[in-house]
Amino acid sequence: MDFQLSEDQEALVSALQSILQDHAELPQAERFSYSYFNADLQRLLGESGFLGAARDIGPLEAALVTIETARLPVLVETAATGLVAPMLLPADGPVDGPVALIAGGAIGKAHRNLPIARTALVDLGEDVAVLTIDPADVEPVASILAYPYGRFRAIPDLAAARRLPGAGARLRQWWRVALAAEVAGAAQAALDFTLDYVKQRQVFGRPVGSFQSVQHRLVQCHAHAQSTYYLALRAAWSGEAVDADCAASLAQQGVQKLLFDLHQFHGGMGVTTEHLLHFWLYRIRALQAEAGGVHGIGLEIAGRMWPAATQATGADAAPQIAEAG
Amino acid sequence: MLDELRELEPFRAEVRAWLAAHLPADWQQRMLGASEEEHVAFQKAWFRTMMEGGYGAPHWPKTWGGSGFTFAQQIVLYEEIARAGAPRLILYFIALHHVPGTLLEWGTQAQRERHLPAVLSGDEIWCQGFSEPNAGSDLASLRTRAERRGDVYVVNGQKTWSSNAHHAHYCLLLARTDPKATKTRGISYFILDMKTPGVTLRPIKQMTGASHFNELFLDDVEIPAENLIGPEHGGWAVAQSTLASERGLTILELAERMRVGFRLLLDAAQAEAPLGGRLIDDDEIRRRLVDIHARIQALRLLINDLLTQVLRGAKTGTEPSIIKIYYSELLRDFTALGVTLGGVAGQYLQPVLMGGANETGYWMQDYLYSWAWTISGGSSEIQRNIVAERGLKLPREPQPAAAG
Ligand SMILES: Cc1cc2nc3c(=O)[nH]c(=O)nc-3n(C[C@H](O)[C@H](O)[C@H](O)COP(=O)(O)OP(=O)(O)OC[C@H]3O[C@@H](n4cnc5c(N)ncnc54)[C@H](O)[C@@H]3O)c2cc1C
Repeated sequence: MDFQLSEDQEALVSALQSILQDHAELPQAERFSYSYFNADLQRLLGESGFLGAARDIGPLEAALVTIETARLPVLVETAATGLVAPMLLPADGPVDGPVALIAGGAIGKAHRNLPIARTALVDLGEDVAVLTIDPADVEPVASILAYPYGRFRAIPDLAAARRLPGAGARLRQWWRVALAAEVAGAAQAALDFTLDYVKQRQVFGRPVGSFQSVQHRLVQCHAHAQSTYYLALRAAWSGEAVDADCAASLAQQGVQKLLFDLHQFHGGMGVTTEHLLHFWLYRIRALQAEAGGVHGIGLEIAGRMWPAATQATGADAAPQIAEAG
Repeated sequence: MLDELRELEPFRAEVRAWLAAHLPADWQQRMLGASEEEHVAFQKAWFRTMMEGGYGAPHWPKTWGGSGFTFAQQIVLYEEIARAGAPRLILYFIALHHVPGTLLEWGTQAQRERHLPAVLSGDEIWCQGFSEPNAGSDLASLRTRAERRGDVYVVNGQKTWSSNAHHAHYCLLLARTDPKATKTRGISYFILDMKTPGVTLRPIKQMTGASHFNELFLDDVEIPAENLIGPEHGGWAVAQSTLASERGLTILELAERMRVGFRLLLDAAQAEAPLGGRLIDDDEIRRRLVDIHARIQALRLLINDLLTQVLRGAKTGTEPSIIKIYYSELLRDFTALGVTLGGVAGQYLQPVLMGGANETGYWMQDYLYSWAWTISGGSSEIQRNIVAERGLKLPREPQPAAAG
């Protein structure tokens, strides 16, 4: 992988962008909402084959689709629907989407995208359960995060659901790739939005973006967004679990600084919903806690990379790390 | 400072006993998710109770109905208020600090008599109309225009971010009276009656969902000439008095509240961890708790040092800027840890504690609100410039080349 998109990949991205362009606008009535799911665009993406990219071309292309759609302030679900579900159920035909991803241990809590989902993949640790979702069974939960959240009115009977034995690790792996891709797209869009703002906002007779203290921090944000983008693509391309973990871990770790700086440079505007920033940043914020979260994923990476050292306890841990290095 | 405070132990005991007897035990239950009307009514009632106890206006001189407390007494009082978890008198902030700070230094006797007693009766809520859409950090570039016509000034323009303007009766207003003078020179300072024809408000929705601040549109608003504070075109100096008026006591109160609020983090850390055990069993969580704890201690020492200087009558330097940066970033990290401990479930919309501290345990709201602190009252970037230039005596940023 050389980080340059191939001609076909470029073509895919630009075809997608031309569709997205026409649907990027938020309806006026939704300007102050915390999230806005565009069901028409979701359908259109399905009909024009963009949600089938993982099956038809490969996971890297599906990740590119997710990155592009994550740049929009309006929400469409391509990460679980177009990437995770096809990678988990390669033998199935197209899954009835949108798809929601659920941590089994927290099934009674609210889940991202559940109110719009038709299918849910539930991480049971070892296995995965596949649930068909009836919207009538879901109760919306109001949240500040830029996705629709909802919880089951009654806990579904997981024992009766279709089960994919041994698929848990694979679900978590692609969940992590998908979330890294989504963070990458949203972070780049939020950064671009902020760059436009600091170029045009004048203080003391010059643009806010002309101050070096602002520039340096925005460069850090840019570096973070770019690294997330490349790690997400690498993880999609390699299919290695540890690459997925690294991509998700980086994506989730940088969130704090990114969120803060991009809001901060909007001044008073940054604490309002008068601009679009929260539509991206509040997606990133939600994704920060998923699939194990920074912490859980970090431990898994350490476990995979340095198994001997992390299993050891106390005093004898250090020499083993030295050996591994 | 410790010596001065030690002598005040009897006073501390008095305040503590008074608060124990008068603070409604259920106030937090009542104000959790309260409407704006209930919030206003409760703030007013609590302020009046505080006034009856002699604690509502500790820093006001006795001649104007305040308690005339020494600075050391004020420190003790705010420590006790924070310890008791009493409501913040947020609606009266401008009225209690900025109004006397401004009128006692620059106002006419008539202005003082008209407004100071009314503030202490609890009937007058004030707001501040300094910032404009194109004048925030760079306040001196403000454009709202006030033209003298006979006995009145006619004001046209727009203000923004005016906190609690929707509850306010009066506004401390800055407007340009001499458009030809250089930036800071042509500005004047007015008392604006919010009921004057031509004043329109539009609430601004915050990320937290609430609307505590407003845009303020001024169309041919007539302000009587006697409402000018200080000299015409001399408003910039008056504004400096306004901004210097609360001398570190607010931040003391906030730091004490944060110290008390640390308990909320410790409690949240007792919750079950997703990977088994409790959250606090985890090294990373413990390390972050210790980091916040240590920084609270450091913050309190920084504030102590500042207050000691004020107490001894020394001129302060860039300490207030350092403390503001330190507090606001600590608050951000404190509440971010709360969000981490709360997990996704901590981010569903919940009722807000009206008049509460900056740490309420509704972590998402606390965290989002923490961002206001790195912007309002002079952003962290501006504070850092102040410290760099005035404190560390570093050269100023280069000015852009002259036009052309
Ligand atoms: C919660 C809240 C309550 C408020 N209440 C009131 C009120 O009651 N009355 C009132 O008049 N105002 C109020 N304000 C306004 C506040 O004073 C301004 O928001 C603040 O001064 C910043 O101005 P701005 O929003 O225009 O941001 P800008 O000045 O446009 O700043 C944008 C960004 O540029 C950065 N920046 C600016 N100059 C420099 C520089 N020289 N070097 C490096 N970076 C720089 C800033 O730090 C910021 O990150 C309130 C604001 C908030 C958030």
